[in-house]
Amino acid sequence: MIVIEFFLILFIASIAAGALGSIVGIGGGLIVIPILTLFLGVDIHYAIGASIVSIIATSSGAAATYVKDRITNLRIGMFLETATTTGAIIGAAIAAYLSATVLEAIFGTILIISLVPLVRKIGEEYPPQQQLKGLAKKLNLRGDYVERDGSKIEYNAANPGKGLAGMLVAGLISGLLGIGSGTFKVLSMDLAMKLPMKVSTTTSNFMIGVTAAASAGIYFARGDVNPLITAPVALGILIGASLGTRVLAKAKNTVVRKLFALVLAASAIEMIIRALGF
Amino acid sequence: MNLKDPSSMNKILGIVLRAGVVLSGVIIAIGTILFIVNHSLDDASSYLAYNPGLILHGNFPISLASIATGVGSLEPFSVIELGFLVLLATPVARVALSLFLFAAEKDRMYVYLTAAVLVILLFSMLATPLIPLFNG
Repeated sequence: MIVIEFFLILFIASIAAGALGSIVGIGGGLIVIPILTLFLGVDIHYAIGASIVSIIATSSGAAATYVKDRITNLRIGMFLETATTTGAIIGAAIAAYLSATVLEAIFGTILIISLVPLVRKIGEEYPPQQQLKGLAKKLNLRGDYVERDGSKIEYNAANPGKGLAGMLVAGLISGLLGIGSGTFKVLSMDLAMKLPMKVSTTTSNFMIGVTAAASAGIYFARGDVNPLITAPVALGILIGASLGTRVLAKAKNTVVRKLFALVLAASAIEMIIRALGF
Repeated sequence: MNLKDPSSMNKILGIVLRAGVVLSGVIIAIGTILFIVNHSLDDASSYLAYNPGLILHGNFPISLASIATGVGSLEPFSVIELGFLVLLATPVARVALSLFLFAAEKDRMYVYLTAAVLVILLFSMLATPLIPLFNG
């Protein structure tokens, strides 16, 4: 395959990955990794390096808009990020001692199981109002944002402890498998902390960028970030993410959750297939 | 702009993020054009060989010094890597600026939390590549 052909295929796939990722709060590795390994025959190390690039590009590309619209909850994100970055470092340190295959099988299964509670609340536009108490009250884990129709949505976070535990797992997965684990982050905020879906996905969008940046140094120093792959992925994702943010602002929470459920299912299947060695 | 006013801090945060993203996009696009004009018909696989036996797996620069030299002579891959480094700096800038945002809001608890995240982030980015335990 010639350079220009390789570049264009990856560029177009990355636009799609950036648009989807910025809406549902994931990094786009779900699309970028299989395109590279299965379709373009690139080594998995370069594919994971590209996934890191795609996560940071999705997060930063969408950030400017989400900061302006104030849907992202910076406090909740920062509180949870302490667990995610810690988990990522621990994961990276113990990765050499654990089998990636077993981990993928375990996490793929957890993702499939978590589809059940997610599907059960598939039609829920806003979560029932939570009482702000305990740690959530102490840390002021509440917020509001304005929908496009002008209505102001106020919410309080529930179960910060469970959320934090979920994020530690999400961080561990990132460190162990070199993926963004945006799916785990969104799940923790949606199912445990009961935040509105858009708050969960945009806050995850903020968090995945920070987590990926934390592990980027290792991949970069190792030479896993290949410029021929980085260029089309970064450019495509940045364009895709800016398109995605426009969609999210107008989208209903129920639509975002349905899209997320599809992505979750695909991501679980991808992980299990990889664990089975196909 | 008043650094002690939370809403202007939020605006500054938005501007810095946008500037970082646009700058990195432009640099990567320049690197891409520089590469494409001379190499669009090359065999892509010649740039994608991965040799796990080598410390340096591919034929592109990864040290800051070699990237700087390469950028000076408009070497395409160095320019693209520089664009990636600018992109990589945006989440770090976001956390660092959030520190000032929370300080402007006089929210001491979150100043501490954000400082903790920033320390872990910088440790992981800059120090772990040098520790053998993390290079398995």
